[in-house]
Amino acid sequence: MASLLSFGVTGVNGYQVHVEVFGTESMPGIEIIGLPDASVKESKDRVNAAIINSGKQMNPRRITVNLAPADTKKEGPCFDLPIAVGMMIADGILIPDPPTDLKSVALFGELSLDGSVQPINGALPMVISAKENGISTVILPEKNACEVSCIQDIRILPVSHLRQVIAWFEGKMELAEQKQVSFEALKNEAVPVVDMAQIKGQKGARRAVEVAAAGGHNMLMIGVPGSGKTMLARCIPGILPPMTFEESLETTRIHSICGKLQAGKGLMVNRPFCAPHHNASVASLIGGGQDAKPGEVSLAHNGVLFLDELPEFSRSALEALRQPLEDGIVSVARVRRQAQYQSSFMLVAAMNPCPCGFYGSNRRTCRCTPPEIRRYLDRVSGPLLDRIDLQIEVDSVPINEINDSEPSESSAVVAARVRKAREIQLKRYEGTGKYCNAQLTNAEVKQFCTPDAEGTALLNAAVDSLHLSMRAYQRILKVARTIADLAGEETISSAHIAEAVQYRELDQKYWR
Amino acid sequence: MPASAVRKLLDYYGSSEACHEAVCRNDDGLKELISQRFYQLLYSTGTKENLEKLQKVMDRHGIRSLVFTDPGFPSSLHEIHDPPAILFMQGNKECLRDRSLAIVGSRTASYTGQKAAGRLAEDLGRHGITVISGLACGIDAAAHRGCLDGKGLTIAVVGNGLDRVYPADNLGLHDDILKNGGLIISEYAPGEKALGWHFPVRNRIIVGLSRALILMEARIRSGSMTSVNHALEQGKDVFVYPGDPASDCFEGNHQLLREGGLYFTSANDILEDLHWLDNPSAVRQNSDCVQGYKPSTPEEKTLMNALKPGALSFEQLIACTGLNPSVLMSTLTILQIRGVIEALPGKQYQIKH
Repeated sequence: MASLLSFGVTGVNGYQVHVEVFGTESMPGIEIIGLPDASVKESKDRVNAAIINSGKQMNPRRITVNLAPADTKKEGPCFDLPIAVGMMIADGILIPDPPTDLKSVALFGELSLDGSVQPINGALPMVISAKENGISTVILPEKNACEVSCIQDIRILPVSHLRQVIAWFEGKMELAEQKQVSFEALKNEAVPVVDMAQIKGQKGARRAVEVAAAGGHNMLMIGVPGSGKTMLARCIPGILPPMTFEESLETTRIHSICGKLQAGKGLMVNRPFCAPHHNASVASLIGGGQDAKPGEVSLAHNGVLFLDELPEFSRSALEALRQPLEDGIVSVARVRRQAQYQSSFMLVAAMNPCPCGFYGSNRRTCRCTPPEIRRYLDRVSGPLLDRIDLQIEVDSVPINEINDSEPSESSAVVAARVRKAREIQLKRYEGTGKYCNAQLTNAEVKQFCTPDAEGTALLNAAVDSLHLSMRAYQRILKVARTIADLAGEETISSAHIAEAVQYRELDQKYWR
Repeated sequence: MPASAVRKLLDYYGSSEACHEAVCRNDDGLKELISQRFYQLLYSTGTKENLEKLQKVMDRHGIRSLVFTDPGFPSSLHEIHDPPAILFMQGNKECLRDRSLAIVGSRTASYTGQKAAGRLAEDLGRHGITVISGLACGIDAAAHRGCLDGKGLTIAVVGNGLDRVYPADNLGLHDDILKNGGLIISEYAPGEKALGWHFPVRNRIIVGLSRALILMEARIRSGSMTSVNHALEQGKDVFVYPGDPASDCFEGNHQLLREGGLYFTSANDILEDLHWLDNPSAVRQNSDCVQGYKPSTPEEKTLMNALKPGALSFEQLIACTGLNPSVLMSTLTILQIRGVIEALPGKQYQIKH
């Protein structure tokens, strides 16, 4: 009889699993109990082959493997490694020397037939959970070592073959410990995926992107095909303030359980950028499936969710975005499993102004009729638009400007200004649990975003003459707050209001 | 039944009542006047129940009919080739007067074209001219709407029965026309659908009812050009709006201008050409006249100067003025609020005329 510790994942959290192995003199065979799913059941064949290929020979006995707690569904191949070690100990062909305290060691990893240890999904939440459970040593696949290298006060022993594990238990070999990498060191390696220096012209849109990033505002870009909407969106993660350790941990956890981490990289330092295609289903966006897996909104947690061709997304998918946009969290409930995933992201959407894409372009004539244009715009519902603070039109850049060699401002310069504005906001909202202007409620807008007399007069005049709605009124105040923060000014003046009005393109008369 | 066949009956019997009587007593002359096919049609559909049903629908929608021989039938339509035999009307008949002008143009018109049409119709309406158009989208709708804004009377000639509105988008406009003393006309009986070929045919009525035709925006092969042809056949003046030559939306306009269409830029030009200008000061320019606006800051001044030659996009404005984007945006907003400039689709701006 042997008992080892391992970990499984439910939602974004790891949980402790006892792997108990018991051998008897009976009809030879292996049975795994404790609600294993198909991939766990298949593990017995992998384990058998891996043990033989590591130079050990099992005695023909009947072996029962129990995964406790027995009432939780176990899934994934991560129990291969503890099962293999447990079987050898129970069989007496592996004798720990010196007798290791098996209660302080946790193992997980997938085995292949030749005995090598393969990476698994969810290593980060498992190690975090191991640390919380007071475990001092974790043996895990070499390829998962990087993502957990920022976890302190726990010994991490990466392995690449079952033979190493056997030798370590027998005391014949020391395993090299994973070097700890501080988060600060990782942060220095962060590079924006697309640098704003690559964007030529588009000064208006660049400014809008900067404002959106500074206040964490959701943004909608409307423009003719090829005007650079996608490129602008890709720049945003690079100019947002760098992730804090907690944020990075939250985001990396979600990516870890989905197996979306880049091999050889530690905690994520670049904010995620998720751009699902417009045929995405509700479940893939929000999360779901049999096992209530996280969706794109959670993968974009602390980053940017980019929806290109917004009106082409199904109505139900867009409506489902409203809860995560509002609460920063999604509850995914399925018959077998329920999970909550964090999903506070910045929504950046792009769309054409009309079905043919050329409404308002002076390069090609639009061939759409007014009802067609209206129907197209109506596909994006009011409640969703309600949650998008900035709506801007992006014009295409003339070819001579693209070839213009004059360099544009780089992401680093813009990011510095954004960071300053965010610091001001952090200070202002200290203790309220908010950290950027976009999160303000209407009551808080009244408290924090009251412009001076001239600004109020201007805003009222704008509402009057440009036929803006009451909804737009609140949004303009929020955005004006951000513009003032970018300028480092405490009071919102008329110039800030006047600029914010320009970010309400969809409220312009010609759209309706 | 085509208008020509009905007219033949009316000519022969003298009035609609006499026609009806003839049909009722199965007059021998009928067969000689119209072809076998129409004769059968007359007896299969012209039953008593059908007529009563028609009368009921007309009563419900407040539709009246005018027959070719009636004294109130618009005299201008007597002069055209193939006039309609019966006109169905809804609304204020007073709109039918001598000083009427037709405004026509593309259904998928450019923003500038629609704006210009609206402004022109507004000025004409203010000057007491009846604006006639076809209740379609684009230029037609802009013209009706503009005329209503100028407190003028407007007539819509449609290509379907008056118990329905086509296109449905213009339902609001349709109601506004009736509410503001306008008139809706059709030669199609209630119940008739809007068929594609009805529209070019009804254009002859639009032109027939008006003294002159104003073409706002048309491509070379377009429905608006059939209106122009009707106008030329009927010997009416054709005024052509000189749109932007760079845009292919106005290619028809420029072809016509080359071939001798009358050039105009404002309502004033048209009224002068038609000698309708009793009191020149009565025609105001547009209500939002900005000629006198004095820029209050240096930024406003540079911006206004940059926009003088025509509409520019935001990026072009940055290049022209050298202002930084955030300053430019706030200046644009302030000038927009003051009503000096207006935003066009595609993030373009222009000085309001």
